[in-house]
This record gives sequence, structure tokens and C-alpha cells, in this order.
Amino acid sequence: MSLLLIVLLPLLGSLLPSLSSNQRRHQCALLTAAMPLIALLVTLRETPGVIAGEVPRLAFSWVPALGLDLALRLDGLSLLFVLLILGIGLLIILYARHYLSEADNMPRFYAYLMLFMTSMLGIVMADNLILLWMFWELTSLSSFLLIGFWSHQSAARKGARMALAVTGMGGLALLAGLILIGQIVGTFDMQTVLDSRDVILADPRYLPALLLILLGAFTKSAQFPFQFWLPQAMAAPTPVSAFLHSATMVKAGVFLLARLHPALAGSQEWLYLVSLTGLVTMLYGAYFALIKLDLKTILAYSTVSHLGLITMLFGLNSQMAVVAGLFHILNHATFKAALFMTAGIVDHECGTRDIRKLKGLWRYMPMTTALAAITAASMAGFPLLNGFLSKEMMLAETLETPLLGGLAWLIPVLATIGSILAAAYSLRYVRNTFFDGKPRELEKTPHEASFPMRLPVLVLAIVCIIIGLFPAFSATGILTTAADAALTMPAPELHLSIWHGFNLPLLMSAIALIGGFMVYVLRQHLFTFHRQFPSRNSLAIFEGAVQRLVRFTQWGIDTLENGSLQRYMLWVVISALAVSGMSLMGIETLKGELAVQKADPLLIVGAAITCFAGLATAFLHRRRLISLIMLSVVGLMASLAFARFSAPDLALTQLAVEVVTVILLMLALFFLPQKTPKESSASRIVRDVLLAAGFGGVVASLNYALLTRPLNSISDYFLEHSVSGGGGHNVVNVILVDFRGFDTLGEITVLCIAGIGIYKLLNRLRLFMPSSDSEGRPWSPDRYPMILASVSQSLLPMALLVSVFIFLRGHNAPGGGFIAGLVTAVALILMYIAHGVEWAQQRLSFQYQPIAVSGVAIATLTGVGSWAFGYPFLTSAFGHFHIPLIGDVELATAMLFDLGVYLTVVGATLMILANLGKVTTSHRPSKQKEKA
Amino acid sequence: MTSLLALSPLILVCATAIVVMLAIAWRRCYDLTATLTVIGLNLALAAQLLAWWQAPLDVTPLLTVDGLSIFGGVLILVATLACATLGHAYLEGARGPREEYYLLLLCAAAGGIALVSSRHLASLFFSLELLSMPLYGMLAYTYRERGALEAGVKYMVLSAAASAFLLFGMALLYAFTGHLDFAGLGGALASAGGDGWLLAGMGMMLIGLGFKLSIVPFHLWTPDVYEGSPAPAATFLASASKVAVLVVLLRLLQSAPATQDAWFHSLLAVLAFVTMLVGNLLALMQQDLKRLLGYSSIAHFGYLLVALVINEGLAVETAGIYLVTYVLTTLGAFGVVTLLSSPYGGADASRLHHYRGLFWRRPYLTAVLTVMMLSLAGIPLTAGFIGKFYIVAVGVEASRWWLVGGVVAGSAIGLFYYLRVMVTLFLPEPGMQRRDATTDWAQRAGGVVVLALAALVVLLGVYPAPMIDWVRLMAAT
Repeated sequence: MSLLLIVLLPLLGSLLPSLSSNQRRHQCALLTAAMPLIALLVTLRETPGVIAGEVPRLAFSWVPALGLDLALRLDGLSLLFVLLILGIGLLIILYARHYLSEADNMPRFYAYLMLFMTSMLGIVMADNLILLWMFWELTSLSSFLLIGFWSHQSAARKGARMALAVTGMGGLALLAGLILIGQIVGTFDMQTVLDSRDVILADPRYLPALLLILLGAFTKSAQFPFQFWLPQAMAAPTPVSAFLHSATMVKAGVFLLARLHPALAGSQEWLYLVSLTGLVTMLYGAYFALIKLDLKTILAYSTVSHLGLITMLFGLNSQMAVVAGLFHILNHATFKAALFMTAGIVDHECGTRDIRKLKGLWRYMPMTTALAAITAASMAGFPLLNGFLSKEMMLAETLETPLLGGLAWLIPVLATIGSILAAAYSLRYVRNTFFDGKPRELEKTPHEASFPMRLPVLVLAIVCIIIGLFPAFSATGILTTAADAALTMPAPELHLSIWHGFNLPLLMSAIALIGGFMVYVLRQHLFTFHRQFPSRNSLAIFEGAVQRLVRFTQWGIDTLENGSLQRYMLWVVISALAVSGMSLMGIETLKGELAVQKADPLLIVGAAITCFAGLATAFLHRRRLISLIMLSVVGLMASLAFARFSAPDLALTQLAVEVVTVILLMLALFFLPQKTPKESSASRIVRDVLLAAGFGGVVASLNYALLTRPLNSISDYFLEHSVSGGGGHNVVNVILVDFRGFDTLGEITVLCIAGIGIYKLLNRLRLFMPSSDSEGRPWSPDRYPMILASVSQSLLPMALLVSVFIFLRGHNAPGGGFIAGLVTAVALILMYIAHGVEWAQQRLSFQYQPIAVSGVAIATLTGVGSWAFGYPFLTSAFGHFHIPLIGDVELATAMLFDLGVYLTVVGATLMILANLGKVTTSHRPSKQKEKA
Repeated sequence: MTSLLALSPLILVCATAIVVMLAIAWRRCYDLTATLTVIGLNLALAAQLLAWWQAPLDVTPLLTVDGLSIFGGVLILVATLACATLGHAYLEGARGPREEYYLLLLCAAAGGIALVSSRHLASLFFSLELLSMPLYGMLAYTYRERGALEAGVKYMVLSAAASAFLLFGMALLYAFTGHLDFAGLGGALASAGGDGWLLAGMGMMLIGLGFKLSIVPFHLWTPDVYEGSPAPAATFLASASKVAVLVVLLRLLQSAPATQDAWFHSLLAVLAFVTMLVGNLLALMQQDLKRLLGYSSIAHFGYLLVALVINEGLAVETAGIYLVTYVLTTLGAFGVVTLLSSPYGGADASRLHHYRGLFWRRPYLTAVLTVMMLSLAGIPLTAGFIGKFYIVAVGVEASRWWLVGGVVAGSAIGLFYYLRVMVTLFLPEPGMQRRDATTDWAQRAGGVVVLALAALVVLLGVYPAPMIDWVRLMAAT
């Protein structure tokens, strides 16, 4: 349970500061510090047990489906990190209290800091890979908040964004890697994973998993080539840098290497990838730390360099190297946090961090100078300080590595060069800032920082000295425990002492220190040399890349998403063309087994007319009336084609529907301007024609292929059963009223409801009849031409007669209630068109709603009727009668049903069309009224 | 009888549509219409339980009721309920007829429910049209806005074109297999192998369905339509409509294993990859929250396609879980936009500057939007993370490194623009014109819905076990 407390107390601590206010800063800091302090005490209580070899663990099942458990552990490795995080964290809280100015929102800062601390503790204590990853992601986010704390500064925002981009990307790669490990092992439980090195190394998925995990670790720990974000993150307030970039955030990457060392290390891939990356990073960072001019940037690059060193140690596949790596983690955290804080003090007191302006500060701040000197000496690897010990261990390890085979001597040489540079930049940091003449151009006169601000540095410096002087007493215990955990076996015996006698590593250390001094003295030559290179600012490069990306996306948006419907359509059609074209290319021949029918002249003429009319519709679309007429020709030809290919029923229906549609379109045209303005340029027309031709070609070839292949369909069944089952020879009609009677009943019900719905919805709509077209020409005053009126009147009885005829013969010959209904409706509509709504309504003085409703009622009753005779719903009975002139009429109950269909169609169609016509009123309100 | 019970949710939604229509025809009363709609939808939601007792059951050759259809139905009904509630607040101040919105909404919902139960190309097509047609009206509902009318027309024209492709693909498939039902089609495809004709047919159908899902390169309408249309309609389009189409696509791919043909399969994979990247990249620079959400939904369906591409192992479960989290999050995010634009008065408040400093005015609403953005970005402890995790897990399991790379890169880019929105919310507010939610937004139905969604997103992020169990149960039936 206490494990949970260690993680959760800082989380609680992130809420506490908000209880306080920005004015009561002492209270705020105290409230914040309370929770980590308790957590530290809890940890210390656990420490003896852990050092004795216990591993307290705690597990709750959380999301079993994801393999995610709320599982924590406190082994030696975790303990080392927990102590670092909480210890340095507490010092940072104290430091930040005095560092932040009045203008900064202190509760917010502390809340972020505590959130970060929680996530960091979560990483180091997680006993489940997914849990570890979740906390990992939280560190990315909370560090984003912390780095961008001064959100009014553009540099802070950009730096934070860059840090998040790099670490966030790495984090997702890490997730993929961890899932892969989980799949190899079969569980995300940490202990099981750590114990199954053999399984993991033998698996073919080892390499991708390793690459993904290393990607995560290297981005987090700013390893080459992802080192660039760390210097830019220095825009953060100094306490943040001191915490995140010395002891915690960047250490998460190397922690992961240490944590997964038992599971992943031991292969050639690991050896080369990890140690060489570390080596390169170490040299790269050290070189730039020597070059840079900003105090914090210098420290940032030195951090990069030291992280490279630690990474290299973990890569070396030797147990002692792991111990050395852990030791250096501890040492680096102490001296680097202290150094960052001294940089912060200098910045705070002098108002600048530019090393060219700062000189001779020892006059003003002797204590800070002393502390900076001690910690920088530790960083340089000066004897009697902790940095010396771990650096010497590192040098000793490089001598024994099998890396690079015959070129193995390169490794210690390069490591020594790295150490030389480290000594040089440490010396530069101290001498150029605190000694070397008098300060120039300072904005304010510096003075010594207040004691509480110096206190954290002092504490860390003392730690540096204690570990440096009494390593065996102070560090061996915790280090051995941590190494046990990181190796999952007893660590090699550790003899930490200041003096090991004269040996090669000591010689290398001496070379490093003397060489560092020489390099420092001769640094001007190095600077001159460096100036020959164009300066490369990683932020500028990154921002440049971002800008290019932005321009690229902007270009993408402009080309793809310009709001033009035609453009969108173009893309859809092109992609459809690509898909169908590609699949068509994989086919040898279009033609199928069926023979092609002979083309007779009639067909050819018909096809030609259809093509012509279709083209004319498109070409003349700006002259709407003509275009509409052409469109109706296309429709007519389509119905004729139906008739030609033995589907008279379809032909009739198509014809009737066509008429209704054209009437509707005419109604719409009435309200539109007569002509469409010219909207396409010539090139666009060419493009469209090409596209249309291409797509038409593809569709036509598909159709051709389809029609030349045998088709099996359900029509045979209906052909066979229409007379025996439904008593009719007109298969379509029999399907409608018998086989699929129930469907038809549903359909006419829908039609009726839709009609009523439209009728009701149109109730309030008023469109005003235009008296002139858009060009100001008045419409013809003669609204109802005489010829049309008289023709339509004489047509009406004939049409009605035809519809009765079609209706009666429907069951056997082409026809039926549906078509008959449409014919009647068209005839009546013609009356409306020819004579106007008022005239027609006076004569047709009945409502259409009851007609439609009674149609549905009749159809339903027919169905119910069969119940009365003990048959299922809608069973039809039929008998034959002979009516003179019309012929043999079969009177089936289906006929009654058909009557229902007829009535509904008439009622609904007229209800819709007649009312659409009615919404126009000739009275047009004056313009003024409309505006009001 | 069992068939009727199994279809009861669909029947109830249709009946509600008719009742609402008649009620409007009888007497226009805004609150009554809304109440009737909500009651009907709730009854339908409860009736899903009835349907569940009958499942799995094939109702007529056209429809089937099984776990997948119930899963989709529940999501659609929840989304529709949210849209109805949000729409109520939104349309309160609108001029002109307001009641028909519910009519259209109910019809579209019925289409969606029928679509997820379809196991036949015919029912697929007509329910897809039933889903889309009312949407034309809904998108252009505030037709006095230029944007809304434009959105409606654009969606209608392009959607009609896409439907044409869909129909053509169906015709091809039918012509070469003689089957229209998914099972028969699957069998015929399996025996035919990678015949070019069938691939052309499947490809055409994919275009039609991909259009509705706004898969790149058929996505072009999405941002424009989202931006222009009234917020509740856009919400429906982004949630219920997409769920329905994805579920039916899933069913189609599941019942036709021949779709695992290499050519078709790589086509799908390429589309998924491109969709993830393009969606996220184009979202980067958007200045309008609704547009941004449009691109983000494109990207999310790219992730979902990954599950469909892999189509083995955990893929169905993954798709289900991702859909749940996506729907909840999208509803929440659009819900905030709707509340901020309610009651309707001119174009929606969706430009990012409308949200500048929202935190200082409406802290709780800001919290809701922040949670939704975090969830969309897939941050741990939100529902979105669970979905993202499943996608990555499925990709890794199948060793599809390109797709995993796409998901990772897309999510990393996504983090940027979601964070941008969040940062905007907390910026100090300059003296700009503002649109604000009403002060009592949290006490109103729409506000309660949004708050509940936020709570649910967090809850499912912290304790997703019930959701996972439910999806598993549904996927297993």
C-alpha cells in the first residue's frame, strides 16, 4: 500500500497548490512540498528492506483486456530513481519558490511540477509495461506544460512544441514496441518480461521491437540524432530545466534502457545500436557544450553528452558497465541539477545568461561561485568528487569492450576525447562566468542570491563531496541493489574507492584533465575553426521543417479543398476511374460467351437519337427549356427501348414517370432564370469532356462485358408460376399484386403517407409568381393557351378510358393499377396546366386525400378479406369472365387490390403535383414589403 | 413474432417518425415534437434489449439481427438521442419551421438501424439512401445561411454520385455471381477468387461506402459540409451516419472473405495509410473547429480502416471499441460547439477565435472540450486511448509495420492540433466578439448530455472493462 502512497501523494500534491493563491507564496510552496516530503519519508521507511533484497510489489487488476494492471514495484532500480526524483524535487520546490517572480502564477507552476513528478514516479515504479507507458506519455504532456510555462514567450512555446513532437512520437513508437514485447512474451507483467530474455532474443520480432523501444528511449533521452530538442527546451524556467533535464525527464530514457536491460540486452544489435549511439551522442554533445554561448544551452549540451555516456555504458553488454551507468545517473543528477540552479541564480541576478557578458562574478556572489566550482569540477571528473569515480569506471569499461573487434581501441580513445572536452567545457563554464576580469554590459548590478535559493545547491554540492570522498559508505549499498535489479542477478562485487592504484583508467583521467585544460587554453582556435561552418540552429531547422509542412498542407488544402464542387467531383470520378480501370486491365477480354445480337436499323436509329439527345441536353444546358425537351427525348427513347426489348410494362411505367418528372422540372424552371450564365472556361470543358469520355468508356465496357455473359436471375421462377399461382399472364402485375402483394401494400401506404405529408408541409409555403424573367422581359400574359386548353379537354375522357382499359387488362396484358393511376393522374394534371389551378379546382371539386386513403383502405380490406375465408392475409382468388370488346377478363381478388393501388396513385400524385402548382400565388408583394 | 420483436427497435423508430409527422401535421408544437422524438428513441433503445433476446436471428433474407447489428443500433440510437437533445437547444431560436428537423432525424436514424442489420445488397442500398436523403435536408436545415445551403447541396450531389458507383458495383457483383445476399456473395467470391470483374465491383462499392466514411480520396466534401451545416446535423453526420456505414462495411468484409484478395486488400491498406496521414496533415492549419473535427474524423476512420484491413484476430473487437470511443468523443466535441452556437442565430460559433479564453468564461464547458480533445488525441485515462491502444495492438499483432507507422505518425501529428485547440481555450481573452453558451447551459438537456458524455469518456478511459466486455459479447454473437 505504501507504494501506492509514493505515487499518489504527489498527485494529491498537484491539487493542493491551487488551494493557495498566488499572493501567499510561502503557504503555496509549503503545501506543495508537504506531499513529496511524506512520500520521501515513506520511501525511506521502505529503503532498508529493499537494500536487504526485498522487492515490495503491489498489483490490482485494472483493464485485463489490455493486459493493463495497476502494478507497482519498488526494487533497487526504482528506489534509486525514486530517491532522486523526490529528493531533487523537494530541493527544486524550495528553489522555485524564490526563483519565480511575482508575475508568474505559482500555484499553476507547482501543480504542473507535481503532476510531472507523479508521472515520473509512475515510470520508475511501474510493474507493468503498459502502465509504464501511460506514465511515460504523461511525462511528455506535463513536460510540455512545464517547458511552455512562460507561454507569452514565443521561444518557450516553440521549444515546448518541439519537445512534445519528438518525445510524443517516440512515445507512440515505444507503445508499439512494448506491445510487441508483450506479444512475444504473452504478458505485460514486468517480472515475466524481464525473466524471458531467451524467448525475446530468439523471436524474429526482436529486431523491430528493439528498434521501436530504442526509438522511444533515445527521443526521450535526447540521443543522437534526436538530441536537438533538449537545448531548445531550455526556454523553460530554470527550476524546470534543473529538474527535468538533469534528474528526471531525460533520465526516463536511460531508465528504460536499464529497466529492460535484462530482457533485451545481450545481442549484437543491442551492443552496436546502443553503445555506438551513446558514443556519438557523447562526443557531439561535448563538442557543442564547448562552443555555445548561453549558460543553459552549454549545460543542455553537456547533459546530452552525459546521457550519451550513460547510454553507451548500458550498451556495452558488461555487468560492470551497467553498474557504472547507474552510478553515473546518480552523480550526473546531483551535479547537473546544482549547475542548472547556479545558472538560474546568475540569470536571476544578472538578467542575462550570455557567457560573453558575464565575467568576474565571484566579486558579487562568492558563495555561488564556490558551489558552481565544486559541482563543475565534479562534472569535469576531478578527483575527490563523485563525477571522477563514475567517469573512471566508464573509462575502465571502454577498455574491455568487444565492440568493433579489431578497432576496439577506438572506443577508449574516443571516450577519452569526450572526457577532455567535458573537462574543457566545465572549466569554461566556471572561469568565464565567475572569473576572468569584470562583467560588462550587465543590466543590473548582481549580488549574492538569498540563502534559501542557494541552499538546494549547497545540499547537492555536499552530496557530491560525500559520495566523492566516501563512496563505499554512501553509495555502494543503493548502487548494488539497483544493479541487482537492473541485471536481475547479483551484481558483480563493487569496490568503490578513490584510489585504485596506478592503472590505465587513471592515466586516461589524468589525460582528460590535462587535455581539457589545454583545450580550454587553446579554445579560440577551436572557435575560429567552428565559425567556418554555417551556424545551424536546430530550432530554426525544426521550425523551417514545420513551416514547410505547413506550406505543404496549405498547398494541399488549396488544391484539394478549394470549396469547388466540380473539383470534388473530379477527384471522386478520377479515383473511381482508377479503381475500375485498374481492375479492368487485369482482364484479357471483354467479350463473354454469349453471341452479340444483330443490330437492326431501328435500333441504330434509336440509339443515335438517344445519343444525340443526351449530348444536346449537356451542350444546351444553358438554354434550359430546350435542354429539358432534349432530356424528355432521352426519357422517351428509354421507354421505347424497354418496349423494344419486350418489357412493355416497364415502358409504360417509365413513360408515365417521365411525364410526371418533366412536369415537375417545368414547375421548377418557372421560378428560375431562363438562361444559365457561362461558367466553364475552355480548358475546363476539355477536361470535363475527357473525363466524361473516359468514364463513359469504362462503364460502357463493363456493360458490354456484363451483357455478353449468361445471367441467372430469379425471373424464371416468376415466369413459371405467374399463371398457376396468381392467375395472370402479365408477370410484372402478378408480382405486384400477388406474389409481392404485401410489399405493394406497404408501398402504397408509404405513397399515401408521403402524399399527405407533402400536402401538409406545403401548406404554408408561398412562392410568388414572377411577372418577368431575370432580364426583365415579362412573361406572356396569355397564361393558358387556347390550343392546349381545348386539346387537353378533349384528351381527358380518352385518357380516362385508356386508363380503365389498361387497368382491366392489367392482370394478363401490359398494364395494371399503377400505370393506370399514373395515366389518369397525368391527364388530370394536364388540365391543371392548361387551365390553371383555380379553373381546375372549381371543376374537380373533390379532395384527393380521401381518394388516396380509400385506396389504401381497399387494398387492406382485400387482404383482410382472405382472412374471412380462412386463408392467410392477401391470398388471392380468381375466376374468368368474358366482357365484350375487351376480351377475356379474369376477375381476381387481386383486381380489387389493384383498384386500391390505382386510387392511391391517383390521389397521391395529384395531391403532390396539384399542390405544388397551387403554392404560387399571382399576387406578389411589393419590394419594400419584402425587405421589411 | 420473434422476427417482429427482433426488429422492434427499427419498427419503433419508424413508428415514431410517422407519429411525429402526423403530430406536426395536426398541430405545430416544438416541445411536443421534441418530446415525442426522445420518447420514441428511448423506447427503441430499450427495445434493443428485446432484440438481443432474439439474436442471432435472420429476419427475411434482407435483414439480420445479431450482436453486430444491435451494437450498431445502440450506438446510432445514442447518437440520435444526443443529436435530438442538442438540436432542441440549437433550434429554439430559429425562425421558420423547426419541427421537421426531428422528422428528418428519425428517418435517418431508421435508415441507420436498417443499414447495420442489412445482410443483402438491396437492403444495404435502400437503407443507405434512407440514411442519406434526410441528411440532405438536415444539413441545409438553416438554409438562410449560405454555408448550410452549400453544405446540403454539396453533400447531395456528391453523395448521389457515390451512390451511383455503389449501385454500379452491386450490379457488377450481381451479374457475375447471381447473388445479392452477403453470404451468397461471399461464397461466390470465394470460389471465383481474384477475378477482375468482381474486383471492379468490389472497388466500386468501396468507393460508394468510402465516400460516406470520408476515406481519402473521397473525403473532399467532409470539411466543407461539417463547416457549413448546422452543428446538430453535422454531429449526426459525424457519428451515427458513419457508424452505420462502417458496421455494414465490416459485415460485408467479414462475410466475403474473398475480399482478402491481394489486390483489393492492398488497395484497402493504401487507402487506410493515406487517409490517416492526409486527414491529420490537413487538419494542422485549420482555423475552424468544425473543419478541424472533420479532418480529424477522416483521420480516425483511417485508423479504423486499419482494423478492417487486418480483419483477423482482434480486428472486430478493435473496430467496435474504437467506434464506441469515437462516437462518444465526437458527440461531446460537437456538443460543445452546438451549445456555444445555441440558440441558433447566424452561422455557428466554430471559428477557433470564438474559443479563445473560453476557460475564463465557461470553465466547465472548457473542461468538457478539453477532455474530448485529449480523448481524440488518444491520451491515457481517456476513452480515446483505449481505442488507440487496440489499433496499435492489432497492427503490431499482424506485423503490419507500415500501418503501425501510419498510426504512430498520424497520432503524433494529431497531438499538435488537438493541443492547439486546448491551448486556445486557456489563452487570455482579448477583447474580441464572442458567442457564448447561455449561462444556464448546464441545467438544460443539451448541457446535461454533454457533461454526461465527458464523464463517460473519462470513466471509460479509467475503467474500460464494461465497454470491452460489452463489445466482446456483441462481437461474439
